[in-house]
Amino acid sequence: MIERFFKQSLPALLSNRVYFLIALLIIVLIFLSLISPYFLNTRTILDILRMGTVLLLLSIGQTLVILAGGAGIDLSVGAMLSLSGVFLGILSRTGVDIWVAALLTILFGGLLGSINGFTVAIWGLPPLIGTLGSMWAFGALALVITNGVPISNFPREFAFIGDGRILGIPTQILLVALPVFVIIYFFLNWSFLGRWVYLIGVNETAAKFSGIPVTRVRFSLYTLNGILAGIGAVVMASWLMAARPDVGSGMELQSITVTVLGGTNIFGGFGSLLGTLLAVLIVTLVASGLQLAGINAIWQLAVLGFILLGAVSINQLIYSLKAKQSGLSA
Amino acid sequence: MKTFIPGLSRRDLFTIGLVILEVVIFSIVSENFLNSSNLRSVLRNATELSLVSIGMTIVILMGGIDISVGSALGVVAIIVGWLIQAEVHPLIIGLVAILVGTTIGFVNGSLITFGRIPDIIATLGMSNILRAAVFGMLGGRWITGLPPVFSPLVQGQYFGIPASIFVIFIFYFVFWALLTFLPIGRHIYATGNNVEAAKLSGIDVRKTRIVGYMLLGSLVGFSSLLYVGRLGSVEITVGIDLPISAIAAVVIGGASVFGGRGSIVGTLAGVFFMAFMKNGLLLLGIPSLWERAVIGFLIIFSVGIDLLINKHQAIAKFLHLKTRQSRVGEA
Repeated sequence: MIERFFKQSLPALLSNRVYFLIALLIIVLIFLSLISPYFLNTRTILDILRMGTVLLLLSIGQTLVILAGGAGIDLSVGAMLSLSGVFLGILSRTGVDIWVAALLTILFGGLLGSINGFTVAIWGLPPLIGTLGSMWAFGALALVITNGVPISNFPREFAFIGDGRILGIPTQILLVALPVFVIIYFFLNWSFLGRWVYLIGVNETAAKFSGIPVTRVRFSLYTLNGILAGIGAVVMASWLMAARPDVGSGMELQSITVTVLGGTNIFGGFGSLLGTLLAVLIVTLVASGLQLAGINAIWQLAVLGFILLGAVSINQLIYSLKAKQSGLSA
Repeated sequence: MKTFIPGLSRRDLFTIGLVILEVVIFSIVSENFLNSSNLRSVLRNATELSLVSIGMTIVILMGGIDISVGSALGVVAIIVGWLIQAEVHPLIIGLVAILVGTTIGFVNGSLITFGRIPDIIATLGMSNILRAAVFGMLGGRWITGLPPVFSPLVQGQYFGIPASIFVIFIFYFVFWALLTFLPIGRHIYATGNNVEAAKLSGIDVRKTRIVGYMLLGSLVGFSSLLYVGRLGSVEITVGIDLPISAIAAVVIGGASVFGGRGSIVGTLAGVFFMAFMKNGLLLLGIPSLWERAVIGFLIIFSVGIDLLINKHQAIAKFLHLKTRQSRVGEA
């Protein structure tokens, strides 16, 4: 009985990642409401989730890049966020209309992403080397251009995205996070493009032979990652009403952690955006919980590191158990 | 097979030529570059980087990578600082530093082999855990004003030659010999070249991986002694540029990030390239923030150019294989 539980029921339960994450989310919520009596009301929770918007944007991109396999990973998401934000700040300082500037920033993010797409997908650099290099290049450029000083001269109406509310719901959730998630979720799950992404991740050679333009798909995914970082930069700048050149540092760790916690296989091919969304909620709530409990923000780094290592190990264990069960030896 | 020959490959000579070219350019552009006190300070500042780069070469040769070396160096350096303040015997401090470093390497290696976590993910996680540990251990205050217990290792001068030269060359000679003549060296190359083939020929790939990360860890541990000896303090940003600089030095030195190809001599040349570049930018009055951007671009370009060169070889190999297969088919 116990043996059966460990050999069959537990892996089955754990491997349905969505149930597992929902259970985890409920545990986190109960725990947080025990820490603080003010926690459990809609307004507080929405305010906390507002903080998760940028992370969600970056994690959606990270999930797609990792899903498409070929050791895909993007370490430069945080640096792209910082540099795009600086770009927005400079445009706004030179007197460009803020909404035009925001649009240009999103395009600029796409340009940065396409640089990664070029080095990784077309030139063939290993993703971790290509994006490690661009992470340092972009991050340093953001600091060099601003001399490390935040740019803060955005017009008052710009705060609408980051700080406004529609029907009580924060605008960045209603107008940015939700639509972006729904659109990309639709594409990944109900269109041939999504099937391409999964197939490339599962078996690149087979994908090539069935006529899928592997290089072009991967290039587009890295570019999309840049576009999402550009959108994130607009949200972040509107929320802080400043473009901080170091705003994205550490975001790469967060987005990768969220992605693997959400159940995406680090080697590609398996995973879901729903898992990533739930993982973003959990990580954001845990971060605010640590704040509530008065634990120094520095320790969040360590917590994230442990979650990352733990989540990947569990994923690996589950995938090898699954492989054994289905008769394929891993 | 070229890498097994104790000598210089063409790629090594290319890197050395690159360094010479760099020296020539910087001595023309800046008059302060080519004098002995400047060169000495370049060497002194590059000692830790050069030792860590040896370990990074080993790890990259096996097809891995380690981005936790900077935070690991920080943790060990803080422990060394505490022990110096407690006036423990230097020899014991040295042993503890190497032991702690090796343990961190063992943890990394175990996560990668037994936890089956990709190298980049495991060391990214470790890097952040250790960075948090650095913050926690320092508690917002730097360790400063340490007595110069380990300064003779970097600042001193013996027979008119700076100590750092001795340290660098002893370590490079030892590890060059280890990689070239000892079985573990061949195992490292074999693991990086083709894991399956290495397994089939009876090499314990897991053990080799873990030993490789432990070697890197021990070098990081020793480097923390040099760090403390050089600066006499431990600050909160300790080692933050170290992983990226070491990776850059190794790939400029010609090691393939896919594993199996690279050399200690090339890495040494790569380290000098990095050290002269940092110094040159400083002398030219370029803000130090630019350094990181330059390193980022350098990594992309050196790996990218290596890739372009090797693509031709890979294609040639592939075609050769094809013709052989078709011949077998005909027969």
